Amino acid sequence: MDALVSRYSRPAFQNEGYSKEDQQQALQDVAPPLSLNFALPPVASAASWLRAMTDDHSNPNVPIKIAHGTTTLAFRFKGGIIVATDSRATAGNWIASQTVKKVIEINPMLLGTMAGGAADCQYWLAYLGMQCRLHELRQKRRISVAAASKILANLVYSYKGMGLSMGTMCAGVTPTEGPALYYIDSDGTRLAGNLFCVGSGQTFAYGVLDAEYKYELEDEEALELGRRSILAATHRDAYSGGYINLYHVKESGWVKHGFTDTNPVFWETKLKKGEFSNVTANLD
Amino acid sequence: MSSPFAINGGACVAMVGKDCVAIACDLRLGLQALTVSNDFPKIFPFGSSTYLGLTGLATDVATVSELFRFKVNMYRLREERDIGPQTFANLVSSSLYERRFGPWFVSPVVAGINEKTGKPFICGFDSIGCIDFAKDFIVSGTASDQLFGTCEGLWEPDLEPEDLFETISQALLNAVDRDALSGWGAHVYIIEKDKVTKRLLKGRQD
Amino acid sequence: MASISSFAMPSEAPTYSFAAAQSASGQPRQHGFYPYTDNGGSTLGISGDSFTILAGDTRSTSGYNINTRYAPKLFKLGGSGPNHEGSKIVLSVVGFAADGNALQERLDTIVKMYKYQHGKDISVHACAQRLSHILYNKRFFPYYVHAILGGIDEEGKGALYSYDPVGSYEREQCRAAGAAASLIMPFLDNQVNLKNQYDPNSGPGLEKVQRVPKPLDRTTVEEIVRDAFTSAVERHIEVGDGLQMMIITKDGIEEVYTPLKQD
Repeated sequence: MDALVSRYSRPAFQNEGYSKEDQQQALQDVAPPLSLNFALPPVASAASWLRAMTDDHSNPNVPIKIAHGTTTLAFRFKGGIIVATDSRATAGNWIASQTVKKVIEINPMLLGTMAGGAADCQYWLAYLGMQCRLHELRQKRRISVAAASKILANLVYSYKGMGLSMGTMCAGVTPTEGPALYYIDSDGTRLAGNLFCVGSGQTFAYGVLDAEYKYELEDEEALELGRRSILAATHRDAYSGGYINLYHVKESGWVKHGFTDTNPVFWETKLKKGEFSNVTANLD
Repeated sequence: MSSPFAINGGACVAMVGKDCVAIACDLRLGLQALTVSNDFPKIFPFGSSTYLGLTGLATDVATVSELFRFKVNMYRLREERDIGPQTFANLVSSSLYERRFGPWFVSPVVAGINEKTGKPFICGFDSIGCIDFAKDFIVSGTASDQLFGTCEGLWEPDLEPEDLFETISQALLNAVDRDALSGWGAHVYIIEKDKVTKRLLKGRQD
Repeated sequence: MASISSFAMPSEAPTYSFAAAQSASGQPRQHGFYPYTDNGGSTLGISGDSFTILAGDTRSTSGYNINTRYAPKLFKLGGSGPNHEGSKIVLSVVGFAADGNALQERLDTIVKMYKYQHGKDISVHACAQRLSHILYNKRFFPYYVHAILGGIDEEGKGALYSYDPVGSYEREQCRAAGAAASLIMPFLDNQVNLKNQYDPNSGPGLEKVQRVPKPLDRTTVEEIVRDAFTSAVERHIEVGDGLQMMIITKDGIEEVYTPLKQD
């Protein structure tokens, strides 16, 4: 009798709709599978196929052009770290954007810069931000820049040969390390250093930066040097330009110092300081 | 290897107005990504109101402009008068076709006013001399796609000289600002019946 | 004289079809697997103070052929029923139409699942980030598309996000994508962001004051969009037939279709 009652007193649609497993599955499907599960083309060598489709360096007529071209720099000095970038994205000779944010705010203490594939940098630095937060929650203290940069380096190394393209710098100041700066690229290189320039305009930036750099710079001098180095690179490198994105990293976290159009800065530098005399200002 | 037309970069545009024409070019000379010079004009005068714009491989731009200087000087000595834009266009066309199987890597643009009729004239060429007669505008160079867009959007018929200057300047500046290989300042010529005005534009330097 | 016959006029050669471009080069094909076709066309988005406009032409091409004169490139996301009623996010995709459709279906499902699970509409911000992840998930086998996502943000302002094929994205005021992007974008720089325009009353040299772009009203933006497309139609063979516009406001999506030249 009880069995009969229970059999007919169940909610009419109890077994319809989603089961527990289905619901679990639906949740999993909706929660973004953040990484490590990428679709691959059905060919023997995914990497060389991808290169044939996207590497516009070896073949200018490729169907998919991934944004490239950049000048980014970062250097350590007395007052912390200066991080500066341009803002241009190019696909071949086409300027796809003049307003790219190439400094990625991983968290309030850590900055990453973006050179190479824009999507690679954006995605993996966001992923790094997630890992850093997880580290904080698990270890109850902030991650060191060394550890953060190593997470990224190991990650890209695991994809070596697959066609990732990124040259990034991680900058942060921690009580244990002081101001720390690392360069990581998609080959798996990870270097600690005082001063790096990355991207197609790196040589031009190094030219200005090396000439004027010293560790004992004041904050204002350091910011101006970062700005001037990017300006030089945007001027001479066709694939750099747009706006100067300037950051100062201190122990209390990073401070943004504007996203300034290069055009007025250039003319002010030329006309008020008399630099860039190569540019004609009068008609012959 | 990249196309010889896109090694040095550069852009040129010509437009027709009311009893006037305009021709403008950028000033960049580069080697792929590296900007070598900011003072490399690509427009050359041939007589009082005939102008030639040349974009493409810089060495050919220099050589071809000198070649036409020689040819136009010879024409002037023989005919004892300046060459008109139509005549010059045909000279350009036949000279380019002489190199049919080893062309100059240039995309010329001719602009001028016919001294006899007083009518504006512009035309463009491919690198082996096919003439493109146009009633509105002609574009050439690495920013030609961008120039097509800006010119098609900004140009209108029968512009007065000052308005034509503004139109061609905006068309050129905004086009080259979307091309990595051209820009770095510009020259603009406004050609009227008996007056030519040349101006330097202060463009973006990045 | 083999060098003559194999001489292809650089930069002048048409590259409208990838298949044609590959055989024209006369080189042996490296990879047999070629899953992409460029279906041409162009899209464009402009965001204003309280609205976002997305537009796209409706021609679909392959090579020099026209597949159809009406293949929409604009898709409403979420909402209810087959007509997406109540939807406030629009996705535009240009490039390979099959990839575009696959992408639209995936994102649409996600937007609908979000509503089902959270009981509220997804914000454009969240939707934008999710789209980026979907694209990046195919980093090694990309969707051959340029996507633009439009909607209204949490403050009621127009929001516009543009993407590259593998998911790098940025919020912008205006963006053109597809075949005629190179024709439309510099025009938009000039007319929407007032690039290279200076205040005529300001002094010479360094005293010149750049004109500051202010949010445009709806009729002006619609006019700019129409101008941009009629211009592109004149000079690009892959653009034409019809112009589909979607205007997103806080009240929903308004759809407008205007014919373009069919030549």
